[in-house]
Amino acid sequence: MRTGVFFCQVDEQWNIDIDAIAKYTLNLPEVESVQNLGINPDIDLDKLSDSIKSRNLERIVVAGDLPGYFKPVFTKAMAKSGGNTKEVRLASFQEHGAKNGHTLDRAKAIVACATMGVPFSLAAVPGGNPVNHATLVIGAGIAGIQASLEIANAGKQVYLVEQSGTIGGHMAMFDKTFPTLDCAACILTPKMVDVGQHEMINLMTLSKVVSVSGKPGAYRVKIKKRARRVDEEACVACDECVSVCPIKVESEFDAGISFRRAIYIPFPQAVPNAYLIDEENCRYVTSEGEKCGNCVKKCPKDCINLDEEDQTIDLEVGNIILATGYELLDISHIDQYGYGRYPNVLTSLEFERLTNASGSTGGRIVTKTKKVNRKTKEESWIFSPEGIPPRSVAIIHCVGSRNKKYNSYCSRVCCMYSLKFAHLIKEKIPNVEVYEFYIDMRAFGKGYEEFADRIKSEGTFVIRGHSADVSMRDDQMFVRGEDILNDRLLEFEVDMVVLAVGLIPSPGTEALGRMLGINSDSDGWLSELDYNGNPTDTDKGGIYVAGMCQAPKDIPDTVAQASAVAAGVLGSLTSEKGIGNMSSLSLSEIEEKAKSVHTL
Amino acid sequence: MAIRVNPGYIEVLDKFGAEDVQMCYQCGDCSTVCAHADDIFKFPRKSMRQLQMGLEEKLETSLEPWLCYYCGQCSEQCPREADPGETMMSLRRWLISRYDITGIANQFFNSRTREILTVLLIAVLTGIYLTFYGISGGSIHVYDGEGAFLPSSFIHTFDLTVGGIMFLFLWLGALRMWYFSMVKGMSIPVPWWLYFKKLYEIPFQFITQKRYAECENNGNSKLYMPWLVHFGLASGYSIMIILIMVFVEPLQAGPEIVWPLHIFGYLATIGLLIGCIYFVRQRIVKTKHVQYKKTHSTDWMFVILLIIITVSGIVQHILHRTGYLEAANITYVIHLMAVVPWLLRMPFSKWSHLIYRPMAMYFAEIQREAVVRQQKLVDPLSITIK
Repeated sequence: MRTGVFFCQVDEQWNIDIDAIAKYTLNLPEVESVQNLGINPDIDLDKLSDSIKSRNLERIVVAGDLPGYFKPVFTKAMAKSGGNTKEVRLASFQEHGAKNGHTLDRAKAIVACATMGVPFSLAAVPGGNPVNHATLVIGAGIAGIQASLEIANAGKQVYLVEQSGTIGGHMAMFDKTFPTLDCAACILTPKMVDVGQHEMINLMTLSKVVSVSGKPGAYRVKIKKRARRVDEEACVACDECVSVCPIKVESEFDAGISFRRAIYIPFPQAVPNAYLIDEENCRYVTSEGEKCGNCVKKCPKDCINLDEEDQTIDLEVGNIILATGYELLDISHIDQYGYGRYPNVLTSLEFERLTNASGSTGGRIVTKTKKVNRKTKEESWIFSPEGIPPRSVAIIHCVGSRNKKYNSYCSRVCCMYSLKFAHLIKEKIPNVEVYEFYIDMRAFGKGYEEFADRIKSEGTFVIRGHSADVSMRDDQMFVRGEDILNDRLLEFEVDMVVLAVGLIPSPGTEALGRMLGINSDSDGWLSELDYNGNPTDTDKGGIYVAGMCQAPKDIPDTVAQASAVAAGVLGSLTSEKGIGNMSSLSLSEIEEKAKSVHTL
Repeated sequence: MAIRVNPGYIEVLDKFGAEDVQMCYQCGDCSTVCAHADDIFKFPRKSMRQLQMGLEEKLETSLEPWLCYYCGQCSEQCPREADPGETMMSLRRWLISRYDITGIANQFFNSRTREILTVLLIAVLTGIYLTFYGISGGSIHVYDGEGAFLPSSFIHTFDLTVGGIMFLFLWLGALRMWYFSMVKGMSIPVPWWLYFKKLYEIPFQFITQKRYAECENNGNSKLYMPWLVHFGLASGYSIMIILIMVFVEPLQAGPEIVWPLHIFGYLATIGLLIGCIYFVRQRIVKTKHVQYKKTHSTDWMFVILLIIITVSGIVQHILHRTGYLEAANITYVIHLMAVVPWLLRMPFSKWSHLIYRPMAMYFAEIQREAVVRQQKLVDPLSITIK
């Protein structure tokens, strides 16, 4: 089949040696012509169809980082010249992980497969290394928990590593899930208990992966386990120690809206259900044993050992699952919303903790109250259960998302959780006005559109138009925004503003990716092998991504992906083929394989 | 009423400087931060939308572009980097070309070469005419009075002629603006007495440029610098126009100039000089103000001519005072060679906002009151409106 190959490129910064690939392509059998059209070419339909006709091409391969962008014009040209439009084939480097100069051979292989009309994923199947049956899961949020349980329930050993003192991740902080308005804890806590009790899961909290070496199927992992300083087994969570601790710091689990002691349990349903010492703030630890130690004296079970030391654990595992999750974008420098300046401007996570029945106000939605420290006369604003409920709340979508200065991408969950907030506020406070300022309503999932309609019918003012201005005059907050569909500008009083803040990868995601040899995209999310065809595998054999660390996604998608990862892991454990790195496949190997597929 | 859509409109505006309009996704952040957007004149978002949709007729009749002073807040805030501030600026340029019946403005805005050639041609013609006039009627050794190279009485007539042409085109433009915005674009009746009631707006806005001072200050300093500089430049400008149109005879005459004229002349010169320096500095250093980040070629022509005029004026004044009359006469010709194209160019350039802006604000106030009278503002959400 007479084949013409056209190279076109979308990304200007993309540094791959197209000339080298073109030279290689020219020597392939059946290739008649190779053209490099350059970056974002302006393709003339008539010229293209003429050149197809004059060279009598029967197949066209469009090669580049995102060749799909240019496919329509080639299809038209093919049709115009009277050829078979099904023979316009794409050689997408981005899709198959040939993203930089190091993957030149893979890029060549992708083009070679396309010229033969063989899907790349059929020709490039890495394998070979025998697989250790133990699996390491990094991150114990809902993704890590789900994947661990699926694998452990199949009877395989799982090491679940979690950085903080409890498993559960962000989902444990949520009150309700959208769109069903189920209680998040009711879904999550049974799974957490399962993880804590499962004989095939070795749970390591307060732990961090320090180094990874070895090859696919046989990774050697070094884990640093920070001292908990409380005996997990012996502690009965009686809460006696907390009353004598002199230190008070912001609670991470409560998103900073309440306080905890230096000895604490993140939340009552934490797994492992034991207290821990915050070594950065504990007076005994920071003074190197000179001061305090009250909790040790108070503990009725004698389970506190303030001198416990960190441990290093070595593991050998066959597969590694990354489920490191996300955090909120730091919005302290986006000053038009007044976050940090005005007390009642909250981030979504703070509001989530405020409305949660296990939060500091017992689930009452209230505005902050002023508290004056008697000694220092310092004023601070805190949430207290006796606070006054807001009369009106503005919820502003897309804070830092879809914004070229911060996150250019859509964080995907904000529209839905913002609508959920509106429902929760309406449910808990009578006669409250809720205003949602949105740019585009992205209700994309099953039952989401219906949920959005329901919220609108509940009397929430859902305003198409963004607000970029929160101001304070005479102790009263004002929100200014444009109501585009009603064609007017609005400015009105609100008592509380909730910002739907965009999401970014959790800190350290990129470093972890680097340690494991996995690329991150320009926004920092870990790169999967193929977004459409293989969203769980990565470039490295035996390393998988699940949940938010790959890209923003909601809980149903996260759970589905985690289960899919578990299926991939179990598949590698049961097949005899073994696993290998995509990058370890040589060009000639892929060529051979493609030829054998081609001749079938 | 059917509205015609012009799909190629966005490319037309691209030539006038609005390059990033397509980026806009209609979030309304720009209208929210704008100090001048209100319930009746909602911009820049709405103008951006009309532009994206190719609603040429709607924009032709809109006054919104003239209510914007380009403080740059919207462009700084824009999440899509669609540059709404520059879009409003480009719309003003385009509107100037629409108000102009000759089509000259359109040529100037779209072709730098044509503009430069025209300006050069007028300058050369002026130079030739003045030189021949000077040689035929007088001597290069005499500056004013009997047998002067360019006697002040002649210059007075010359100035008035050139100025008259300029003002004729300016007011023709203003008339077109009135027709577009108040006749073509109004769907509600406008009571005739509103025109008298709001008449004070024209001199008031012209002199104070109060709305410019209301622009958001970015919190950087107490005084809004762009307003101050603009005020200095505009006052210097107006004083200078009055001096040369009315008082050119006593001014040129020399040592016995009455002192108020003297002082006003110096004040105006200082105003123009500071304006020039600020303008060039902002555009070369590209400071924090967004409004100076992009410069259209026509902006440079304005400032280059202004610098030539100011400098040659000062030099001529010094030469005259120190007695180098021949040199002073030659400088005078050069000075006028810049003044004539500069004055004649005004109705066809951004400079015409001198008339269009106060007029637009006058019309806008009339429109506002007319709309309020119609009680078009019903507020179902019972939300307070600014």
